[in-house]
Amino acid sequence: MTLLLSLFIKLSLLSFVAFGGIIAVLPSLFELAVSQQHWVDAATFADYFAIAQAAPGPNFMTITLVGWHVYGLVGAIVASIAICWPSSVMVFYLERYITRIQDPEKKKIIQYAAAALAIGLVLTSSWKLTVGFNNHWTAILLTIAVVVITQTSKLHPLYLIALGAILGGAGLI
Amino acid sequence: MKKLTPLELFICFSKIGLSGFGGVLPWARRGLVEKDKILTSEEFSAVLGVCQIMPGPNVINIGICVGSRFCGAKGALAAVAGLTIGPIFIVILLAILYDHFSYLEHLKGALKGIAAVGVGLIASTGFKMLKDEFRYPPMFFVIGLTLIAGIYFDLALGWVVLIVAPVAFFFARRKARKE
Repeated sequence: MTLLLSLFIKLSLLSFVAFGGIIAVLPSLFELAVSQQHWVDAATFADYFAIAQAAPGPNFMTITLVGWHVYGLVGAIVASIAICWPSSVMVFYLERYITRIQDPEKKKIIQYAAAALAIGLVLTSSWKLTVGFNNHWTAILLTIAVVVITQTSKLHPLYLIALGAILGGAGLI
Repeated sequence: MKKLTPLELFICFSKIGLSGFGGVLPWARRGLVEKDKILTSEEFSAVLGVCQIMPGPNVINIGICVGSRFCGAKGALAAVAGLTIGPIFIVILLAILYDHFSYLEHLKGALKGIAAVGVGLIASTGFKMLKDEFRYPPMFFVIGLTLIAGIYFDLALGWVVLIVAPVAFFFARRKARKE
């Protein structure tokens, strides 16, 4: 029970600062779940991230799976609710307020500031995940290749995920 | 304005959640604007703009905004339930399979490959967002500060946000005035 409560509180706190979306919180989640609380080991966390990537649905499913690992179905549901409710409540009340701002300059300032913050957090997160997950140079190479391909073409991400699964399944990663 | 029942919202967002392979956002546009015609393209962009500046899962935020617009708090709950319930059960099913078959070397390898691709997709999102900032290069200072605080000093996410947000606002004000 204390475990569930701790899961709920710690994930709820992360939700409040998740600017840039779930992507930005993944390294914090890794730190929390693997290094501090020892809920899962690093390899399992990376596998859960991969499963969440390959499955349909919102990208917080890595967190759902950590919850699942800690406390089964109840843990999965508690973790999912915890990561969503604080930001959802904020959005519910603030959306009307932001939409009602008439001054276009004020609107722009909020938008630009949030965008810059989000970009920084997403890039920080990518760096930390690259270092945290990829323990072989071929994996880093694959990550870089994906960045280059997605910047230069409009290939659907699902093909790249399939490519990763094939290369990895063949023992190359 | 058009009214939608919670059930209609639930079904609409379930379809979006379950088709969202490799990111739900493009599917949200396809479902809401093109298929179900709940929002116009401009309305969707406006909602997305607000949802991306808020913390939390972007797609869940869209569910909250759209759901509450058509049916208040009940609508928001219905939309989020639609987005999440199906995918949560699928992902748990996959986790059960994983528990049984994770000893297979091929599966382990495949997941490693997918994780490497996943990280690349995330980095790619960051770089794409970065391109917009070339219009006002001083903003790179804010991004650099975030990277230093987050990577070099390895500060917790909350601290990074607290430190960087005022600087981001300062530069955002200058950027907005310059236009």
